[in-house]
Amino acid sequence: MDTNILNYAEERVRYYKVLIGLLLLTAITFGLPYLFEAGANLPAQMFIAVLKAWLILMYYMHLKGEKLIGTMTMFSLSLVFIFFIIVIGVDVTNFQFGAESHITAPEHTGGATHAAPAHH
Amino acid sequence: MSHEYVPEIALDRDGNEHVVQGWQDDFYGGKLGFWLFMFTEVMMFGAMFLTLAYYNTLHPHDFIEASASLNRLLGGTNTVILLVSALTMGLGLLKMRAGDVKGAKLMLYATIILALMFLGIKAVEWTAEYNHGVFLTLPALQSGNEHSLPFGKILFFGMYFTMTGLHGFHIIVGIGLMLWLIKRINSGKVTPEHHILHWNIALYWDIVHLIWVFVFPYFYMIGAAAATGGTGGH
Repeated sequence: MDTNILNYAEERVRYYKVLIGLLLLTAITFGLPYLFEAGANLPAQMFIAVLKAWLILMYYMHLKGEKLIGTMTMFSLSLVFIFFIIVIGVDVTNFQFGAESHITAPEHTGGATHAAPAHH
Repeated sequence: MSHEYVPEIALDRDGNEHVVQGWQDDFYGGKLGFWLFMFTEVMMFGAMFLTLAYYNTLHPHDFIEASASLNRLLGGTNTVILLVSALTMGLGLLKMRAGDVKGAKLMLYATIILALMFLGIKAVEWTAEYNHGVFLTLPALQSGNEHSLPFGKILFFGMYFTMTGLHGFHIIVGIGLMLWLIKRINSGKVTPEHHILHWNIALYWDIVHLIWVFVFPYFYMIGAAAATGGTGGH
């Protein structure tokens, strides 16, 4: 889809179709917590969010057919993935003072989590 | 009044005039530049989401309980408002490109009204949370005192107010940009032939919407099943 060529009627219909799709996915978002257990709910919610994001990017933000910007988007997202998830993820996972910090210490049960943070 | 391009002139040693290459009509370059700006937004919110996800892995039960206390009815209403505002913004751009300047302005006004509704609902929500003692400056979100919430909830609400607040700030900036765009349209500086500003502000509004697409489920829906008494949180 060349963004400089306009077929008004066709594009307007596409906008409404995307809106209906987004509304349906939003409705599914409300139903998911009752279909999945807490552990699976979050990944399911994020999956629906990614579908919604894809619709917005492709049709509202006109990425469909934009090869250069599309490639740049994927490249940038790959960089974000590599640096944030892998590099920082590995670093955070191996955090040396994980057991001592009041942020990273394992969650307590029985309401003891509101105790004053440990100082170190 | 039209969008008139006045070229820059450079002189060589002999005093001969040369027109400097201008990029004012470079539609694709303008769009590409704005995409680069949007990547910085993705990086900023992306870092926040990763922080949120990390805290979630540390305090999963507190996160679900805190999420259950949020008002899904108001959050869901705001989601639908942003969905419709993305449509009005898109239709406005479409009308501008098709030469219907008046229709484009009407759609921009509709988008501004929807944005104000979003902010109004968010203000109602934050006020209710403040009245229930949950806000950034209140003792419940300060660790180490008798009113403190469990630490995981402090992290959850800290991220909630930070991220929805930053998102709300983007909405306010968006309203300002749309008002500025209308002013530029009225003065003839944005026309169906020169609409890159309209295009980029529509992209900005879409990225604001895109961020909410992830903010809403992460904060409001992860604890929905744990909530009792329907969708109302407080």
